[in-house]
Amino acid sequence: MQEATFLILTALAAGSQHGYGIIADVAQISDGRVRLRAGTLYSALDRLRLDGLVTVDREEIVGGRLRRYYRLTPEGTGQLAAEAARFQANAAAALARLGLAGGTAG
Amino acid sequence: MTGTAGLERGYRRWLRWYPKAFRREHEAEILAVLLAGARAGQRQPAPMECLDLLRSALWMRLRPRVPRSNRPVFAAIKLMYLGGVVELATAITILVTIGDVRSNVANRNPGLTEGEWHAIAAGQVAPVAVAAGIAVGFWLWMAWAIGRGHRWARIAFASFFTLNTVGLLHGLIQGSAVYARPDLAIGSVLWLVELAAIALIFHMKPAGSPSA
Repeated sequence: MQEATFLILTALAAGSQHGYGIIADVAQISDGRVRLRAGTLYSALDRLRLDGLVTVDREEIVGGRLRRYYRLTPEGTGQLAAEAARFQANAAAALARLGLAGGTAG
Repeated sequence: MTGTAGLERGYRRWLRWYPKAFRREHEAEILAVLLAGARAGQRQPAPMECLDLLRSALWMRLRPRVPRSNRPVFAAIKLMYLGGVVELATAITILVTIGDVRSNVANRNPGLTEGEWHAIAAGQVAPVAVAAGIAVGFWLWMAWAIGRGHRWARIAFASFFTLNTVGLLHGLIQGSAVYARPDLAIGSVLWLVELAAIALIFHMKPAGSPSA
């Protein structure tokens, strides 16, 4: 799973969000390192919808503009959890070998 | 607001690169996101925004429209790209080794004139190179069409496979196993790739079906 995809799923993990909300949240989660552009975001959302990981939650009109909210599907939640566990395991192994893991450093 | 109107027109121009069906469903919300992210006083789309929209739109038109869980389709598409690469290698080999072919023909026919060589090249060598070039395009087209879930592509590819099978058998009967071993070898590799791709595309789930 690409980092942008992982971050988009993470942004949606706490609840449904609209496109601009996802962009802002991804920037915040990544500490400003990943700044998604609209084209990239909607390309990723299209793929995630096709794969059944994300679905449209609701739509609303704000200031005359359409806002479509997206949320994770149960499959998306499962894949994000599996990917996060994999990252965590890899990070733990790396930190342990570097002798940086909290309380386990040898 | 005139500045915003100009900016919106600019974004709409770039959004025209997207497929119509995608625009119908998403143009309004992408536009809202683009406008929400615009800098204060911005009057035209920034070059990086244009590049991002163009790249995403082209990718949207080219990439497979089947779920990743439909693995047979993705495997078939990879095989079709492989087939295209083999065909391309064939075409390049023919063009690069044209001098060797001419030498071999001249050795067998010491009295070969320039005119006779041109006739051989035009009648036998050039059609093979052109056919290989067309085949590259056909493999890529089929990979795209299968990835987009076009049912006609299965039939087209099955017909292509049938034609190549007949051609390969005809070549064997004519004795190409003895006289043109490289030709036979490359033909056999392509036939095996086609066979594997055919098996995959006729055992895949219908395109666009939900992931398991």
